Amino acid sequence: MGITKTIKNKHAANKSGIKGSKAARGERGGVADGVIKAKKNGTKSKTPINTKGRPNIADILKKRKQRTYTEKELGIPEVNKITPVGVAKPKGKKKGKVFVDDRESMTTILAIVQAEKEGQIESKMIRARQMEEIREARKAEAEAKEAERKARLDETKDSLRKKRKRPNTGRDKDGDGDADVRSLASTGSKATKPKNGKKRVSFAAPDE
Amino acid sequence: MRPLTEEETKTVFAKLANYCSDLKSLIAPLDDGDRYVLRLNHARVYYVRLSIANIATSVARDQLLSLGTCLGKLTKTGKFRLHITALPILAENARHKIWVKENGAQPFLYGSNVVKAHVGRWSEDCPEHSGCVVYSMADIPLGFGVTARSTAEARRLDPIGIVCFRQADNGEYLRDEDTLFAG
Repeated sequence: MGITKTIKNKHAANKSGIKGSKAARGERGGVADGVIKAKKNGTKSKTPINTKGRPNIADILKKRKQRTYTEKELGIPEVNKITPVGVAKPKGKKKGKVFVDDRESMTTILAIVQAEKEGQIESKMIRARQMEEIREARKAEAEAKEAERKARLDETKDSLRKKRKRPNTGRDKDGDGDADVRSLASTGSKATKPKNGKKRVSFAAPDE
Repeated sequence: MRPLTEEETKTVFAKLANYCSDLKSLIAPLDDGDRYVLRLNHARVYYVRLSIANIATSVARDQLLSLGTCLGKLTKTGKFRLHITALPILAENARHKIWVKENGAQPFLYGSNVVKAHVGRWSEDCPEHSGCVVYSMADIPLGFGVTARSTAEARRLDPIGIVCFRQADNGEYLRDEDTLFAG
């Protein structure tokens, strides 16, 4: 407000003075800085008057320009970046390796690793034992089946043998088979006519 | 030369646990107040007394060839590979053991796997694919490997069947002389 007052006063002073006087001209055109300054001051001073009680537009624009978005806010797909996903290192983390040299941490790691390994080996052994049991059971089952099959086969064989034996034994008991063979051997295969079977022709005697 | 990170320590101990049953004795404090520590130099892991490791700091890293016992090598993929130089530590408290006969010792030392015909005896209840230390019948450690079959399965195996896959043997001291300690 103070600035505006002074400007008004300045203009008023110029206008109020003699127009054609050298001093007045010199002040206006000769000392350019003063005029420009006065103009600048005037333009600047106008804006606050017009926007009284409202938020400054320039300030708002400035604030908007200052806003920077983080990568998360932008929502850029991770695969579409220049740096691959795995390569980007987390910020704020200690650079370099973390060594394990004290006894306590080494013992802790060792205990964890050993427990893990023991568990693995134990489960492996249990699995192996189970598999072995299954294998044994299968083997026993296969053996039993084999034995059963063999028994059945033997039984069938026996029954077949018995079947073949029965007729033979019957013939032997009668003695037919052997007798036939013997008679054939002694007489030969020639068919001989039985004596009783000789045909006889008899004529009836004529009556006197 | 530097101590190992947590991840590296885990990897090394996990590998050692395959072969050893008791790891706590490895880092237990000694009578003179000293203890054993793990140190890394040129990707090799050394098992060394702390006092010696501290003295060794006076030697430049590229000048330091070896110190203590070399356990093995950390690969670039983050895995750990045991070397034959770790055998004395593994043999001290081995989890599973295989004793090979006289006729099987030489083939094993020349880099072959252990076949059933060469096995004198083996520890009971040994699952397959687990680490084991190979001894001669005179209880001299010859190397170490991974079991190919469990003890029960190996009993049914034919004589030329592989019982143990070789990982390292004492013959490497001669065969890999150039690359065992450097390169």
